[in-house]
Amino acid sequence: MSAPEPGPGGAPEERPDADARILGAGLYAPRARLPSAAVADAWGRSAARGVESVAVPAPDEDALTMAVAAAERALEAAGVDAASLSGLAFATTTPPMAEEDLTPRLGDALGVPADATTRYAGRSTRAGTRALRAARDAGAFPAVVVAADAPGGAPNSPEGHAAGAGAAAVVLGADRGSGAGLHGDSEVATDYPGTRFRRPASDEVEGLGVTTYDRAAFTRPVAAAVDGLASDPDVPDPGDAAAVAISAPDGDLPGRAARAAGLDPGRVTTPVSTLGDTGAAGPLLGVARALQEGATRTLVVGWGSGAGADALLVDGLAPVEGSLDAGDDVGYTDALRLRGDLTADEAPAGGGAAVSVATWRRSIAARYRLRAGRCPACGALAFPPEGACPDCHALVDFDSVALPREGRVETVTGVSPGGAPPEFARQAERGGDYPVAIVAFERDGGRVSLPMQVCDATPGSVAAADTVRAVFRRVYEQEGVVRYGRKARPVAVDER
Amino acid sequence: MTDAYIVGAGQSSFGSFPEETYRTLFREAYEAAAPADLDPGDVDEAFVGTLGVGGRQIGLAGPVVTEHVGLHGVPCTRVENACAASGYALRQAVMAVESGMADLVLAGGVEVMTDTSAEATKYWLGVSGETEWERMAGTTFSGVYAQMADAYLREYDAPRRAMSEVAAKNHANGAKNPKAHLGFECSVDDAEAASVVADPLTLYHCCPTTDGAAAVFVASEEVAASFDDRVRVAGVGAASDRVGLFQRDTYTAVEASERAGETAYDAAGVADPRTDLDFAEVHDCFAIAELLAYEDLGFCDRGEAAALVGDGVTAIDGDLPVNTSGGLKSKGHPIGATGAGQAVEAFDQLTGNAGDRQLDDPERGLTHNVGGSGGAAVVHVFEAEGVSGA
Repeated sequence: MSAPEPGPGGAPEERPDADARILGAGLYAPRARLPSAAVADAWGRSAARGVESVAVPAPDEDALTMAVAAAERALEAAGVDAASLSGLAFATTTPPMAEEDLTPRLGDALGVPADATTRYAGRSTRAGTRALRAARDAGAFPAVVVAADAPGGAPNSPEGHAAGAGAAAVVLGADRGSGAGLHGDSEVATDYPGTRFRRPASDEVEGLGVTTYDRAAFTRPVAAAVDGLASDPDVPDPGDAAAVAISAPDGDLPGRAARAAGLDPGRVTTPVSTLGDTGAAGPLLGVARALQEGATRTLVVGWGSGAGADALLVDGLAPVEGSLDAGDDVGYTDALRLRGDLTADEAPAGGGAAVSVATWRRSIAARYRLRAGRCPACGALAFPPEGACPDCHALVDFDSVALPREGRVETVTGVSPGGAPPEFARQAERGGDYPVAIVAFERDGGRVSLPMQVCDATPGSVAAADTVRAVFRRVYEQEGVVRYGRKARPVAVDER
Repeated sequence: MTDAYIVGAGQSSFGSFPEETYRTLFREAYEAAAPADLDPGDVDEAFVGTLGVGGRQIGLAGPVVTEHVGLHGVPCTRVENACAASGYALRQAVMAVESGMADLVLAGGVEVMTDTSAEATKYWLGVSGETEWERMAGTTFSGVYAQMADAYLREYDAPRRAMSEVAAKNHANGAKNPKAHLGFECSVDDAEAASVVADPLTLYHCCPTTDGAAAVFVASEEVAASFDDRVRVAGVGAASDRVGLFQRDTYTAVEASERAGETAYDAAGVADPRTDLDFAEVHDCFAIAELLAYEDLGFCDRGEAAALVGDGVTAIDGDLPVNTSGGLKSKGHPIGATGAGQAVEAFDQLTGNAGDRQLDDPERGLTHNVGGSGGAAVVHVFEAEGVSGA
């Protein structure tokens, strides 16, 4: 991209009113990267234009876990406590459950108050900007807006070659003050059937491959939405934008659309070349990366099959947490294995440990947010926070306390696919051997330990005394219900 | 209060028996245990340990096997404390006799573990640990014991090879036991070179899954006098602990074993187990468990277990032979039958019927049976006829 252009400077009180302000942003992408060269080796060519690599989710990652990771980083960047949030919006085209409102789980994982105003957007890749606009319009600040996606496609299709994964989040605040202002609102919708679609109960995005029609379906609504924004006298000129954060099903269409809207295609910040098609997360990823790179004015454009587009302008700077740069290259068969394309869907014989959904739910605060108990009699910590005090043995009602997210490995072993309990057998088949540790967490002089699977690590890479961070991941699925909880991620991986 | 005596003890062969059922295996143990002049009508009570018979987890698992061997009408209770099921069944029998409620009690256990798929077996065995957190972190039993081993080796800078020495010793003993599941020898190098099951545990550091049954008849002093073989139950100790390893104060000791041992020693008048005991059958589901048992039961100080096995103290010709039967490692670990099976070895040793692995006139021996990774433990001290106190 070109060098950032000057944006509004000066003290926060001098900045012009906006519809809302971005107080901070967070980025997250899975660690594994499949180079397009590996796809080309497998199929003779890669049909994903402008894509050098795609991010491949780990077996225990999905749109919800990536959303939590991005949102936690955004909250950290903004310096906002989740407990103070009044709004929550979530966008994805690849929800882990076909029918279920994911905002309660997202909110619980983050610690958002239950009475926060929630918005959920799905179905098309415009969901990310829809969620952003919805949270802004709801006016319940501070709000966190998260977009996370991991689209898939048939193995030898343009969609399959481009399929990536990633998540981005922004924390929105009120219209005045610090942060990057959110300006304007332009939307157009024109009927272009068949450009990008997914059949009922299918995980695979399809396109008809009608090249000129597809391009028109993308560029015309985008150009129209940008024109609409430009005609709004209250919005800074989008033509001055230093960055263009736009939906990017591949690396070609965003540049074409930018050019059609009169913008420099070199200013596109959506990380499609390194992460691949990130679906609904694309525009927010582009915004966060633009902010991270110091772009002071960013045009945000969401495009969704159907086709429609919306456009907004981000003016100013805000802090960003997270990096998209580091990843570990994997081979093509490894990527297929990670994605589950080579393994059976159903759980192996023998069933899983019988922890009922109702029982699981009772422990959600401990599982999602590491809520421990403090004994009101002797002050000792207990995890999980139930039963008699582990120290004084009094049968007490514990005071709820939050454990820190970082802990230290006390002891660790490795579990192989052949040695994993049946409910983890499929995960182990896809992801390979995994470490399981006992991790100690300290708070106010007290200490408790938890058994934790270590994610994004091989058994030999984790040892006692290592520092790990508790991250939100899929634990297992039983009776069709995905169970989530915290796993340990080595900080050396988490901070890359 | 009367003393309790074992007047008969026997077990089925331990191994994989596709043609046998839990009923027929129990019958084999019952017949092996029954003294020649036993009148089944004299049996007052029965306690049967089983985890769940290959995961099928039937109800009334105790009465099913006692009615099969002709003990109609006898009050029968199933005891389940995971791998310590029949160790606790034996303790129940001793309590029934010592309290005066019964004069002749059958304690036993049975498990069929080899007739389900590997995955079904893993599912089933995993429920003996802490399910909601430990299991949900993706661990199995081997993983939990591997965590204990990792912590132990690091804390005491002990060599992994010590666990291989435990395995080689127990295989050597098991090779002399015709009832053993894995009746072959293995070298320390074999154990070191075997594939890793859960780092740092290799295949030879782990016991097999095994079918089998064991039975023990416990009698009051008065009733015992009418039988030819008598072994006094000199002391019993039991304790429980947090089921999840992560919830305990230490990962390098099994405190339930320590407490159970102290209680049993107090009752039996054992002041120094190293000199007062002539042998021990300890719970070695994984080789690290045997090393921990040495320390938990006071055979040596903390951190010295590797030296104990390395110096040959616990070899069959050492000062304190441990697991002369081959232990769980070689004889096998049919979960519900294991504790009673340990008592069978103690009975055989103290009555001079241990065959090729017979020790030289042992007077006092110990059995140590652990449930899960230490959520429950039970220790018995037995004395041969004519030893002081008997």
